[in-house]
Amino acid sequence: MSNFVTLLLKEEKAIFSSPIAFAIVGVYLLLIGYTFTLMLFLNRTAELVRVFFQAAVLFLLIIPVVTMRLLAEERRSGTLEILLTAPVRELEIVLAKFSASLTLVGLMLALTASDALVLGIYADPDWGPIYSGFLGLLLLAAALAAIGLAVSGLTSNQIVAAVVSMGVGILLWMIDSIGYLLPDPFDTIVTNLSLVGHFTPFATGAVFLSDVGFFLVVILACLLFSMRTLARR
Amino acid sequence: MRTSPMTAVVVADQLTKWYGPRLAVDHVSFAVEAGEIMGLLGPNGSGKTTILRIFTGYLRPSSGTARVADHDVVDDPLAARGRVGYVPEDAPLYLGMGVREFLMFMGRLKALTSTGLTAAVDAAMERLRLESMRTIQIGRLSRGYRQRVAIAQALLGDPPLLILDEPTNGLDPRQIIDMRDLIRSLGGERTIIVTSHILGEIERVADRVAILLAGRLLGAHAIRASGERGRFRLCVRGDEARVRRCLSEVPGVIAVQLDDPRQVPAPAYLVDTEHVAQAEVVAHAVVASGFGLLRMESVSVDLEALFLQLTGGQIEAGR
Repeated sequence: MSNFVTLLLKEEKAIFSSPIAFAIVGVYLLLIGYTFTLMLFLNRTAELVRVFFQAAVLFLLIIPVVTMRLLAEERRSGTLEILLTAPVRELEIVLAKFSASLTLVGLMLALTASDALVLGIYADPDWGPIYSGFLGLLLLAAALAAIGLAVSGLTSNQIVAAVVSMGVGILLWMIDSIGYLLPDPFDTIVTNLSLVGHFTPFATGAVFLSDVGFFLVVILACLLFSMRTLARR
Repeated sequence: MRTSPMTAVVVADQLTKWYGPRLAVDHVSFAVEAGEIMGLLGPNGSGKTTILRIFTGYLRPSSGTARVADHDVVDDPLAARGRVGYVPEDAPLYLGMGVREFLMFMGRLKALTSTGLTAAVDAAMERLRLESMRTIQIGRLSRGYRQRVAIAQALLGDPPLLILDEPTNGLDPRQIIDMRDLIRSLGGERTIIVTSHILGEIERVADRVAILLAGRLLGAHAIRASGERGRFRLCVRGDEARVRRCLSEVPGVIAVQLDDPRQVPAPAYLVDTEHVAQAEVVAHAVVASGFGLLRMESVSVDLEALFLQLTGGQIEAGR
């Protein structure tokens, strides 16, 4: 546990001392603020459905940039050898890096909550879909972070890690489109792998255990894969 | 080769490592005793780093066993890693961290408690003469200082085994001399395995050398007498059999061998003693027996000759 905290603090410092983190949060807030303002004045309805979808698409592009350095940079600089030869478990390394990347995502979500706050002050929104939307965004972001971490463990090149993670995320986001072309039972299988398919109910106010389970399974599978990558050497 | 598992801190038994279809380490067995500095010598690609990485737990052996202070590196990896201080080749470090910050980070990973942590970090910095660099970012340090930081982190937790992979690589002559002195000063109190592909480096720091070629251990030989042992070359005039018997009967003499019978004006003998201070006793015994002691000198193994003898034409043939 103490190793986890030590590694987490080191990762937090690495993330928040980098200008990349501030650039990411700044661009994200600008685009989310733009969408929120636009939707508010165009639709004049107190809801955040479009903001949630906008945030989800931005996460597909932004989170791979956050996660690209997590293991790839350690591998490139050789510090992974220092970490893995210290009396530290692979699980602690993986969890610390995953949690650190989620901290930045958490910060972005917390700042997005200011939009909900504005709605609460000036209108009377239905809070259910807002809460579920944030839960969905958190699960989606965690799944994308876990995918990014797993990919980052496979290469020593950060750009490759970012591009591949982005590709995997975007493919999983829209994979349901190809499901309509496939025969039974592959259509169901492929459609059920879709990130957008599992995220949409959250954004519109419906929380299904199956959707929560899907995201948790993706997160666990990717974290186990990352551990396996570190352990197999 | 000395292999006394009772005092051995490091034991490799039939250690083998395959990288896909390529055999990197081929059934290597050796032991390193407590306080000994063992040098792994071999050309690039001979398996030195792979063997070190197995002992640090970074790589898993394909077969065979590796034990550090009685802990198997595969079955008990955390305990084994906790007993190893490791400085990888080129000393990779977190360049964005300060020197003290990095050492505190590594100390915490090595489970040093808060009270012991500060003391251990300060002691390591003092030993490596890093006090004036404590707040400097590692990325701004010279190569020599970075190497010192890497060794300082390896010393944290006072591990019984230090593993140094090519520690003098990329250092300037002054830094190389400092590094040799440092390694020698660390020996004795802890076991050290040091690798190099440069013969002279191993010769200057190690007590014993293991020569590797293409993943195979060709042999392990004492370079200088372990601990306090001595080795002397004596040119003695007199009947060879009588001289040998005389030398063998001196208390503390372990072995006597004829070094060069063609030596002029008298043959040379190599004499191994239990203690380096027995030189005087040996000299006195020779003179007292009526033989002519023409010359006497302390010797170390001719590593270059040993290396060429063991590797034969294999390096050339392998090219």
